[in-house]
Amino acid sequence: MSETNVFEPKIIAYVCNWCTYLGADLAGTNRIEYPSNVRIVRLPCTGRIDFNLIVKGFEMGADAILVSGCHPGDCHYTAGNYHARRRWTLFRELLATLGIDLERIHFTWISAAEGKRFAQVITDITEQTRRMGPYEDYRKICEAPQC
Amino acid sequence: MLEQLRQTCRELLEEKKADVIIGYGQDTEGPGTHPVFITKPEDVAQLVWSDRCFANLTVYLTNKLILATYCRPAVIVKGCDARALVVLEKDSQVNRETMTAIGLACAGVGEPRAAKCAACDVHMPRHTDLVIGEVENAPVAPSPRYAALEEFMMKTPPERLQYWLGELSRCVKCYACRQVCPMCYCERCLADKNRPTCIDTSAHLKGNFAWQITRAFHQAARCVGCDECTRVCPAGIDLRLLNLSLARAAEANFAFRPGLDRDAAPAVGSYSLQDKENFIQ
Amino acid sequence: MSEVISKESLHQLIGGLLAAGKRVAGPSAIRPGHVLVVPIVSPDQLALDGFIRPENSIKEFLFPRTERLYGYKFDGPQSVELVDGDAAATEWVILGARPCDAAALPILDHVFNWDTKDEFYNRRRDATTIVTLACAEHDRDCFCTSVGLGPAAEKGSDAILLPLGDGQFEVRCLTEKGKTLFAGKTRVSDKTAQISAGPAKKFEPGKIREFLEQNFEHPVWLESTLRCLGCGACAYTCPTCHCFDIVDEGNAAGGCRVKNWDSCQFAMFTQHASGHNPRACQPNRQRQRIQHKFRIYPEKFGEILCTGCGNCTRNCPVGLGVQSVLVSIEQHS
Repeated sequence: MSETNVFEPKIIAYVCNWCTYLGADLAGTNRIEYPSNVRIVRLPCTGRIDFNLIVKGFEMGADAILVSGCHPGDCHYTAGNYHARRRWTLFRELLATLGIDLERIHFTWISAAEGKRFAQVITDITEQTRRMGPYEDYRKICEAPQC
Repeated sequence: MLEQLRQTCRELLEEKKADVIIGYGQDTEGPGTHPVFITKPEDVAQLVWSDRCFANLTVYLTNKLILATYCRPAVIVKGCDARALVVLEKDSQVNRETMTAIGLACAGVGEPRAAKCAACDVHMPRHTDLVIGEVENAPVAPSPRYAALEEFMMKTPPERLQYWLGELSRCVKCYACRQVCPMCYCERCLADKNRPTCIDTSAHLKGNFAWQITRAFHQAARCVGCDECTRVCPAGIDLRLLNLSLARAAEANFAFRPGLDRDAAPAVGSYSLQDKENFIQ
Repeated sequence: MSEVISKESLHQLIGGLLAAGKRVAGPSAIRPGHVLVVPIVSPDQLALDGFIRPENSIKEFLFPRTERLYGYKFDGPQSVELVDGDAAATEWVILGARPCDAAALPILDHVFNWDTKDEFYNRRRDATTIVTLACAEHDRDCFCTSVGLGPAAEKGSDAILLPLGDGQFEVRCLTEKGKTLFAGKTRVSDKTAQISAGPAKKFEPGKIREFLEQNFEHPVWLESTLRCLGCGACAYTCPTCHCFDIVDEGNAAGGCRVKNWDSCQFAMFTQHASGHNPRACQPNRQRQRIQHKFRIYPEKFGEILCTGCGNCTRNCPVGLGVQSVLVSIEQHS
């Protein structure tokens, strides 16, 4: 019996260098497996994550996006994640008004010690997105025919 | 009230406290008005005040040519415009010492009345150097403020997306919304960035979504709801809904409304350890 | 003796076109107070009265706001594969253009067939049928009569509908395309339409041109345009403005080259790579707009690059527009 085509979601993860990225590293050194659907983009701090990166992620064909950084109080640059938290609160409202699927955008705090948790989060997001299917809405926006 | 306004402006010019009055002048035909720049005391007769004084004149306070030509502007502002002035001040874009803000009591603009006027609580402008005229000013509860948004949010997310696919397909990227907004004062807008391009300049759906999301979000907790962007859009796009969405989020989450308190720290650019994070895992 | 069509028959004609898979566009009230020329999918969407003219122009269908020229794919570090743009242009019937919309097309034909033939424009021009609706009224922003046109001007139209006031229209087919479209759809009548006089003349183009030739430097440029905010609303809603920018959109795998509308009023319009900007202030940019439309284009092609539609003034956030500047100029000359 031939294998049916299983949808492999594309996940983009924007992560901060000092916590979540090191957490992903820890998962790797401990040989904890997690789905290779995720493409990790490393930034110095969640405070540097421009909301446009989320939009760009969808433009590039992501089916889900993860934004992750240091726990509040643990930011390597002291307050970057507090600024990010405020921005995300507002940005989610704008996306909700536009009808963008909020279930495809995930925010987490994952520290450098949480390798296992990183792997779990990626696994959960991948499976959830697989169930939801490809993000057709943003494809519609990007491939709309011109006049 | 008009006589008092003209007299005030005449005195400002005669006493050299201002070198230009940025105000409203009558169109040659019809009830409409347009921005005028009065430099001679005898020309103050050109100034008018009516419910067709739509323009938010504070946009000229960050205009390169105006700044190069005049050093002590006096600007005429309605309540909504005066809020923009406070945001500009908090953003360090205007110097209140070298300008005069002339507030005009306003019962509302437009025929029919503009949507923003129904929930206005700044009929009497705040934080201006003086206020001419008198209009009853009662505080307004939040819900009428966001009534149009709340009605829109009763649609399901797919319905909302369908709506915006329709609206934003008409955007032609004329940037009238950006140019008319006092808070869009960046010398080089992100939309004009290339090498590499951040936002597609093309007026297709992808480029239009990228642009409108960017502009709305850059105005988060800065937009004062003067609705000029919505009025001037040649494609009739209801940009107001996007601005209301962020204004409501700022008020609900951070108890912040831009342009009302000269001492309050702007919501974006500051933070609290108590900010909610129920959406963060 | 004339050919007339009733509103009902016109609706049937449109319904027939749509059912046959043809694309139709015309003025439609997309929300209260806003009538725009848009593609329509049902005859009821068409708005033929109750407004002066649509806020946008019909040029979108011949010169789209964004047009893909071709695509490209990177096949490896040294290899690029080109993917051609669409070959055939979609056939459009535009119903309810104004005379000031249609007249722009023969004017634009000159620049799009000047030193090189713009095949994108020409293909679409050949594939589009323009049915113009003559104007029964005008407002203060209209000035078609000042640039040699009028409420029933036939320039650029394939057919023109003249309102008879009783829900019927006199139909004048002016080209083969127009005749083909209306063949068998009209009936003979003894009614002919009364053509309205149109707006009074606001200025004399000859005098304007003389002023422009002699007054590159003049205080009127600053005086009359100080309030301009530098957006593209005038250029983008103007039937004759045609400036464009060519950009590449894509990523490491490939992309496409597109031709987009551009406006001479944007600060970056003449920005050089060196950082120098020869038109660095708004009055200089506004001066260029007027010079281009009322002196340079006429010198080159013998036509004024303006049809007096008034869209620039109506759409301008601060009520500027070419009429206001020209009236200031005439006061000075």
